[in-house]
Amino acid sequence: MTDFQRLLEALVGGNVEFVIIGGVAAVAHGSAHVTVDLDIVYRRTPENLARLAAALAPHAPYLRGAPPGLPFAFDVETIRRGLNFTLSTALGDLDVLGEATGGGNYDALRPRSESRQLYGLEVRFVDLDTLIHLKRAAGRPKDLERIAELEAIKQERNRS
Amino acid sequence: MNEGRELEWVSLDPDPVIEAYKRDVDRTLIRENLKLTPDERLRKMVSVLRFLEEVRGSKATK
Repeated sequence: MTDFQRLLEALVGGNVEFVIIGGVAAVAHGSAHVTVDLDIVYRRTPENLARLAAALAPHAPYLRGAPPGLPFAFDVETIRRGLNFTLSTALGDLDVLGEATGGGNYDALRPRSESRQLYGLEVRFVDLDTLIHLKRAAGRPKDLERIAELEAIKQERNRS
Repeated sequence: MNEGRELEWVSLDPDPVIEAYKRDVDRTLIRENLKLTPDERLRKMVSVLRFLEEVRGSKATK
């Protein structure tokens, strides 16, 4: 099971600039669904790539679902050459995205995010409207039910 | 590196499929969750995940 607290501690402790999207952001907004991984959009600056690589290095990041033994190293060069990575780590599954479907890179998403405390850590997750936007942009059939719930959350918030 | 700050345009018009799903959303759960802080919501979700893991584990050992 993904240890969300320790993953966030690793990222925040490593001063990584990131915004949480996906299921954890949905839960933070009030979704009743459960999610098994953490999805983040990270800032694509050289400094932040180095911080991201260093923060995850102790936790054995590896390509999720790939056969063992591949010559894969989640280092600065790998991150620079790639963009989005679906990783397994010793702390659980982590999707590390340079850009979310819908055009959301860090610079686009940060102004559309909220800073809140999770596990005593100051983290940012996308605001509800942006989360709905990203889910709609992704256009996956499995997201339709989630979008319905997120839009219902928005309605309930507006009622209160 | 992409410096874009704009999101791609996407229609936010009501979608009949989403509207159909919306009728089945359990709003009592949402209202309960909205009384909690984001931190409490995440901790609650993790406790549900732990419970599900325990149930799976107990089934596997039978």
